[in-house]
Amino acid sequence: MAMRLDTFALMAIGLFAGMLVGALPGFTTLMAMAILLPISFFLDPIVGIPFLLGIYKGGIFGGSIPAILVSMPGTGAAIATSIDGYKLTQKGQSRKALDIALFSSVIGDTASDVFTILMIFPIALLVMQFGPPELFSVLLLSLVIIVVTAGKNPIKGLIMMFAGLWLAQIGTDPIGGVERFTFGLFDLKSGIPLLPMLIGLFALPEIVYALMRSGEVQSLAKLVGARLTLSEFRRCLPTIRRSTIIGAGIGIIPGLGQVVAAMMGYSAAKNASTHPETFGEGEIEGVAAAEAANNAVNGPTLVPLLTLGIPGDNVTAILLGAFVAQGLRPGPQLFDEQGSTVFAILIAMVIANLMFVIIGYLTIPIFARIVTIKTSLLIPLVILFAFAGAYVFRSDAVDLLMLVGFGAIGLLARAARFEIMPLVMGFILGGPLEYALGQTVAMAGTEPLKFLFTERLGMLFVLLATPVVGGLLWKRMQSVSA
Amino acid sequence: MRRMLSRLSAQAWLVGTLFVISSSALLFTNALIAKPKVLFGRSLSPIEPTLFPSIILTLLVLLCTIYLFTNRNRLLESSTSRNYASAFKTIRFFIILVVYAVTMIPFGFLISSAVAMSSIALIAGNRSLVQIFALSIISPITIYLVATRGLAVSLPELSPIEFAYAWILDR
Repeated sequence: MAMRLDTFALMAIGLFAGMLVGALPGFTTLMAMAILLPISFFLDPIVGIPFLLGIYKGGIFGGSIPAILVSMPGTGAAIATSIDGYKLTQKGQSRKALDIALFSSVIGDTASDVFTILMIFPIALLVMQFGPPELFSVLLLSLVIIVVTAGKNPIKGLIMMFAGLWLAQIGTDPIGGVERFTFGLFDLKSGIPLLPMLIGLFALPEIVYALMRSGEVQSLAKLVGARLTLSEFRRCLPTIRRSTIIGAGIGIIPGLGQVVAAMMGYSAAKNASTHPETFGEGEIEGVAAAEAANNAVNGPTLVPLLTLGIPGDNVTAILLGAFVAQGLRPGPQLFDEQGSTVFAILIAMVIANLMFVIIGYLTIPIFARIVTIKTSLLIPLVILFAFAGAYVFRSDAVDLLMLVGFGAIGLLARAARFEIMPLVMGFILGGPLEYALGQTVAMAGTEPLKFLFTERLGMLFVLLATPVVGGLLWKRMQSVSA
Repeated sequence: MRRMLSRLSAQAWLVGTLFVISSSALLFTNALIAKPKVLFGRSLSPIEPTLFPSIILTLLVLLCTIYLFTNRNRLLESSTSRNYASAFKTIRFFIILVVYAVTMIPFGFLISSAVAMSSIALIAGNRSLVQIFALSIISPITIYLVATRGLAVSLPELSPIEFAYAWILDR
């Protein structure tokens, strides 16, 4: 099923587009995915989802190109890469730095994809035993973890999460079918559409920031020096292995993502090294550590998304939008109803890595030149894609105004240093959370406490979560006050 | 009052707006949420439709109040820390976006996109008329053809332009 020619073709296009956008300083993978998301709606799930995964994988690697060549990370995930990558460029070894970035990215990505395939089905089997009380508890726990891990101040995260939960209330009540906060407007009856919201919140603020930087002159990027040798590659293998394990572990926890993984992978490599003094001075192991770790996050982030319907980060929130638009609702029932499609998508991820190494190896010289392309040409094009994409989803002009409105909210939140992630998570999980609560109340009848304590696993999850979440919150509060 | 409003920081605007919206929504919850459907005297819903929104809004109002109170010293910012040129550029950009969104239906995708793209290119600092012209004409036409012919979805268009395209493509 995954071996379709159109799947390969669209994955290759996705990888190319991801690398292209990642290579442009100021343009992120997230923005590329948000803008190209509508294209996936017109494709089969087995073609559309791998297309987006290609953008994701390509974009994370693409971000390392400007990080290495001009010390301007194309994505947040490439910040750790720029530490040693740019030093290598200054030493005249940019080609070597990009080669090790590509190979460590592919190895980290492939190993984590295999790990994902091996663990996703047993987890899905366990999750299929869940009823509404367990689902409610897990959704609640996920929201709390996302708030705690998003930014230094948990109150900011909580405010955004509750704002998202409230936005999810607009429309028709999922249990009783009554209208809420619609002001009698027909366009709000089905709620706020996810796509204009995602494009507005994620893409428009990025565009505004790119617009602010559009006058800056970038130095010409050059691809120089010898290629990576086999002995250098072998020397990096233990570092790649360590970073892959770190990245895969972090990827499975909602809310952490590539930036944390890359930094942790880099620090672990430095601590484990026999020559830590060379880190930060142009050490290829430093580039390998960061790149393997940030790409190893890609696969495992799909585990909470596919098994529970909980997006682990911004990118998987966009993937969730793609799944929903395709009529596939991530969660326990997805494996029961569409198990073969899920398996095909996971296999496509592994195949994408083989294409990734070929496309990356051949196109590095092209993308190295793209780093200096004029943003004044790209910004209008991105806006055009954003508006066309937001419109074609429902052919409703109101969606365009929502796109601009959410863009303004995203920009204001970014200026105020409030994370967008809890808002999006609150919005996505608000409906399922209320539905699970309603079902739990209906099941519990007149004795809710007895029901929860004696008959269900739900309370167990809440009890398990309390010390973990309480400890995390306490630690976070301490660091804020310090 | 006007001077104070102009000095409000981004976080004051964001949390203040959320506070006003959430407290108003909480106050008028019963008016903004329809009554639950009833069958033979029993509600069809296990929980009241107002229950979940009321919990969320109450917590949101509380959190906004705590945030505004604990950060009261940081809600105003000095005029020297402001970048008026960037703010002006951002406002112009958003005005173009609103105009683009509003004009897409009456003027069609091609015309509104061409105008919006050339305006944004100018704001972004592009001064090459050839580049702006090429960008604002070629790219909307390409997207239009890909969407309508390749993906078989409609984009808003003026009737004469639609007829012209149909005539060209049918020949």
